Amino acid sequence: MRLGMKQLRRVPLFLFVGFYTVVTGGPLVWVAMMSLRTTAEIFRDPYGFPSPVHWEKFADAWVKSNYGTYFWNSTIVVVAAVALVTAIGAMAAHCLARYTFRGNRLVRFGILTGLVLPPQLVILALFQILLDINLYNTLAGLILVYVATHIAMTVYILEGFFAQIPQDLFDAARMDGYSDFEIFWRVTVPIGAPAIFTTVTLNFIVLWNEFLFAVVLLTDDDRRTLPLGLMHFTGSHQLDVGMAATGLMIAMLPIIVIYAFSSETMIKGMTAGAVR
Amino acid sequence: MRILDRLPRRAARDPDSAALDARRASLGILVAFLAPALLIYAGFTIYPVLRTFYNAFHTIKPQGVVEFVGLANFTALLFADSTFWKAVVNTSMFTIVATIVDVVGGLLLALCLFARAPFAPVLRVVWFTPVLMSYVVVGIIWVWMYDYDWGLANATLRFLGLSAFEQSWLGQPSTALWSVLVAHEWKWLGFNMIVFLAALHALPGEVLGAAELDNCGWLAKLVYIIAPMLRTTIVNLLVLSFIGKMMVFDLVWVMTGGGPLWASETVSTYVYKRAFEWNTFDLGYPSAIAVLWFIIILLFVAIMSRLLRQRDKLEF
Repeated sequence: MRLGMKQLRRVPLFLFVGFYTVVTGGPLVWVAMMSLRTTAEIFRDPYGFPSPVHWEKFADAWVKSNYGTYFWNSTIVVVAAVALVTAIGAMAAHCLARYTFRGNRLVRFGILTGLVLPPQLVILALFQILLDINLYNTLAGLILVYVATHIAMTVYILEGFFAQIPQDLFDAARMDGYSDFEIFWRVTVPIGAPAIFTTVTLNFIVLWNEFLFAVVLLTDDDRRTLPLGLMHFTGSHQLDVGMAATGLMIAMLPIIVIYAFSSETMIKGMTAGAVR
Repeated sequence: MRILDRLPRRAARDPDSAALDARRASLGILVAFLAPALLIYAGFTIYPVLRTFYNAFHTIKPQGVVEFVGLANFTALLFADSTFWKAVVNTSMFTIVATIVDVVGGLLLALCLFARAPFAPVLRVVWFTPVLMSYVVVGIIWVWMYDYDWGLANATLRFLGLSAFEQSWLGQPSTALWSVLVAHEWKWLGFNMIVFLAALHALPGEVLGAAELDNCGWLAKLVYIIAPMLRTTIVNLLVLSFIGKMMVFDLVWVMTGGGPLWASETVSTYVYKRAFEWNTFDLGYPSAIAVLWFIIILLFVAIMSRLLRQRDKLEF
């Protein structure tokens, strides 16, 4: 009987939890449904189920509405930037965590200052600089900017983790005659793999979604990344809600698929800077 | 620290032990490890920051026309630019409300799951999903939600028989900023929830158990036991949220573009407009706005951490 009362008192909790789940999941499900319906169907009944299911809309969006180009641009930029920032960030973090040298703390402080610099403080000057060196409106320029602006967070996370690897391992490796680079490659990288994976996830999501740098530094339609492409498409085809929804799904799907398989890694990655 | 610095140097005199000391490396090795990161960071982050500060004291026109104007940008900004002040007021209101909603809402959501709501592990993952979506995606979805004719907001009101409250949420000055705020919270609440949940699970079970035995009500438990123990997390999230909100750009840009009539203009959208949309063709003035705003943010963050930081660490 007491258990019954206790459960009853928890009813508001259940109701609220159910409500909030609908609030977060609902809009995403709604877009998923719209992505498989034509605009005419949507305007007839905005909240109906897709019947018939228009799978061909994805092919249309990919080819006719240029989403294929946007998707590949995003992929090139994000993969290149994440690979670069991970490699050079891990090297720097290893160096800062492992070696005692003059200026160690100054270098660390300099790099970690980047954690507090808002993009608005660099964006206008970056626009000028990329114009100066002829990298304005190129994917290469955007990649460089992404690497530079995400080094701080990458080094911050990796250095914290690398510093906890027991020094004995490195002493032993040195005794065995490993060179400095071998120590990095054969000790730090394998043992630090979980942290490296965390930064890869974080940088991948953040850069896949990045908008401000891209909107300032790219102008050509065939160089647009997905967020710019979506913005451009909804701006120029305001009434084609159906096709815009398909575009949204193309942008969201990679993230959702990865999230479905490795939700814990992604949650850990996204909150790595806030959870200590 | 000084002793640590000296030790390896003394060891260096003995060539054998120097080669074996894993804490030391030759200058060449250090440069090889650090140079790539430092070069790209210096070129595309440090230099742009310095250049922005330089720009703030100049008028920068196309074709390399640069003219020193001293503090003129700042005086114009502070004393003659009503749009800037409108943006400051909007951004401040947005920041205050959104930061509080972030922290309080995130904590409440985390407590729901911590109180062993059914399917808590699954819900945790579902509630976090919006955090992974880009602002552009979130913005477009919410523009549709607010659509006058077929958006969910008005459809719900109609369904409830409250048609009188139907409105063009993003189209009128009184509701635009707050409508954007709702979308912003929709995206970010899950983030705060996860951080709080991790902190809650790290709390010592005995303390909560003792409160349970003392028949402590849940509100008292929250205010007197849980909140003080979560202080560090709360302060971290407040600061993080504050910085994010002060710089809010993407969502406003996608949903309203700062309109209507500057009703949702924020400092960041104004910087962008002054730099790339107005026909002033001057990068100096928007740089001055960015510099001023950055200094204000730093100032507030310093004040917040000084006031809120735990003076004596709780032992548990």
